Amino acid sequence: MFLENIRTAITALFSNRMRSLLTLLGVVIGVFAVTTTISMGAIATAGITGELEDFGSQKIIVFTPRDKPLAANFTDNDIEALSRLPLIVQKVQDTAGFAKYDDKEIQLSLSAVSADTTDTKIARGRIYNEQDEAYASKVIILTQDAVQNLFDKDVDPLGKEITLTIANSRTVFTVIGIEEKSGGLLGIGTGDAGTIPLSSFYSVVPYAKKGEYQYLPMQVDLDVNVDDLVSQVKSILERRREKDSFSINTIKGLLDAFGNITKILQSILGGIGAVSLLVGGIGILNIMLVSVTERTREIGLRKALGAKKNVIMQQFMIEAVVLTVIGGVIGVIFAVASLYLIVAAVPFLDKVIINPMVIIMAFGVSVATGIIFGVWPASRAASLSPIEALRFE
Amino acid sequence: MSSVIEARGIKKIYTLEGGLKVHALNGLDLVVEDGQYAAIMGPSGSGKSTLLQILGCLDVPSEGSYKLAGQEVADLSEDELSGIRNKRIGFIFQAYNLLGRSTALQNVALPLMYRGTKAKERNRLAKEALERVGLADRMGHQPNQLSGGQKQRVAIARALATDPDILLADEPTGNLDSKTGDEILGLFQELHEEGRTILMVTHEEEVAKHCQKIIRIRDGVVERIEEVKDRQMATFTGDIP
Ligand SMILES: Nc1ncnc2c1ncn2[C@@H]1O[C@H](COP(=O)(O)OP(=O)(O)OP(=O)(O)O)[C@@H](O)[C@H]1O
Ligand SMILES: [Mg+2]
Repeated sequence: MFLENIRTAITALFSNRMRSLLTLLGVVIGVFAVTTTISMGAIATAGITGELEDFGSQKIIVFTPRDKPLAANFTDNDIEALSRLPLIVQKVQDTAGFAKYDDKEIQLSLSAVSADTTDTKIARGRIYNEQDEAYASKVIILTQDAVQNLFDKDVDPLGKEITLTIANSRTVFTVIGIEEKSGGLLGIGTGDAGTIPLSSFYSVVPYAKKGEYQYLPMQVDLDVNVDDLVSQVKSILERRREKDSFSINTIKGLLDAFGNITKILQSILGGIGAVSLLVGGIGILNIMLVSVTERTREIGLRKALGAKKNVIMQQFMIEAVVLTVIGGVIGVIFAVASLYLIVAAVPFLDKVIINPMVIIMAFGVSVATGIIFGVWPASRAASLSPIEALRFE
Repeated sequence: MSSVIEARGIKKIYTLEGGLKVHALNGLDLVVEDGQYAAIMGPSGSGKSTLLQILGCLDVPSEGSYKLAGQEVADLSEDELSGIRNKRIGFIFQAYNLLGRSTALQNVALPLMYRGTKAKERNRLAKEALERVGLADRMGHQPNQLSGGQKQRVAIARALATDPDILLADEPTGNLDSKTGDEILGLFQELHEEGRTILMVTHEEEVAKHCQKIIRIRDGVVERIEEVKDRQMATFTGDIP
């Protein structure tokens, strides 16, 4: 009888194609929406965290406070004083200029980092070395964005000479490397930018103050406690500088801030997921209830012809389970597929994360809604006398 | 002869939404002997369908006692009633009541499924029943692809397929032309000769004359029961156009 009932249920599903499809759709949407929204939260979090970790080692940055424009720059002596700490202080200068190749010209943010302290990552070509630094070689590393905007597609930028215009003076630089693009979120390696040796910077930027820095980025190894280091940096600089003439930021601190943002993001997406689940559930309920009249007559007829109550219930149970489970599976497949598509399309997302609990929950709630609202009206109809059920309107 | 149907003081009261009570059956007594072939006649609204539904265990009386083959129906559970409807009674509804999205064959096979008949055997029996009512070429049709008379014949085939010993028919020839109607009456005659009990609601005296008795109903009670003197005999040729 059970096998017969499976056949009956499947036949019933096929003979009421529209109703079946709509119910199926309700489940698909419910499962799909919940799985994608909640998983997107986790994936975005991982993307952001990964992005920050890509930033390399931990970093401490000291800079003159924005509200104290007259605070003195940092000097080589400051760097010297800090150098006994377990960190590498980068000597950095920046300015803006124009880069020209052939008849194309773009605006370029230019930064200079000394060869011994640079941590620029190269995708192609090479980074400048101590020798370039010593001879103030006119060599430049460009970001991929700059390469794209400055050169035609079929031109290999490596070895090409470009003209930099800085403060009205022109200098020819040779492109020796292309920077690795680590993602868009923090803007590392993106935008139209170029990096050159520090000595070259001093030789082409007439107004550059040699040995003075507006900010000092410091690389710290991952296993070093940044908080301890920050207080040491602070005490050293406090002895050397006026009170309140500098601020300290750490990448570790950024991670914490992003942690909070992603938590908010996840709860928002979770909320959207819950709402979609509710909407999907109501959709399922609606279709089930709309078909109650028709189905009540069917139940009356089946009973009139000798079906026992539990046989009818079994049929409706099988129908509901088959529909919701198929719908759930389709929903999960769609969800997983779209998550992969989204991750492939969005640059700073790099890993598809799907928590099995999310799938189980989405699946469970949809299937439960389908079964409850499929079986409950059926159970009511099956308790009527066959004639009452046949007459139901 | 023993009586297969014994109804005493049957009342059926419908309560309408406004609280108004409709007495469809008003203390009706009826005894039908085993193997009897009887017509139920009466004006519209006199309670014929209501009576037939109660006799067919499709509905329960509000009051009174109904014994089917000696068994008090009120003592039976829902599932036992389902069993009786399935095994003993063939019911032909006035409104056919076919499953709209199933074929004629599936409709006829349905009660056989609930009795546990295997699919192959089920289809064979259903086919046989459909052939008997002249619908061999309409087995794959759904009800909305059939004429009123054809639907009625599917409903008859469904009642016959289970080989019941009581056949209850609510205006089985109501939608048929006289030639097809005569064929169905011939079929009923055959079934009667096989020893089955047949109760048939009809509005036509001509049709009722094929039965042994006419039970006349008025206002929810049996007015009188007549023996049919000039009984007509229809023969089943199996030749339905
Ligand atoms: N479900 C119901 N609710 C309320 N009243 C009903 C219901 N079913 C039948 N009735 C009433 O009971 C009475 C008997 O109805 P029934 O259907 O038995 O008549 P009938 O003799 O079969 O008539 P017809 O020849 O027109 O088919 C009618 O007055 C009808 O209005
Ligand atoms: Mg009637």
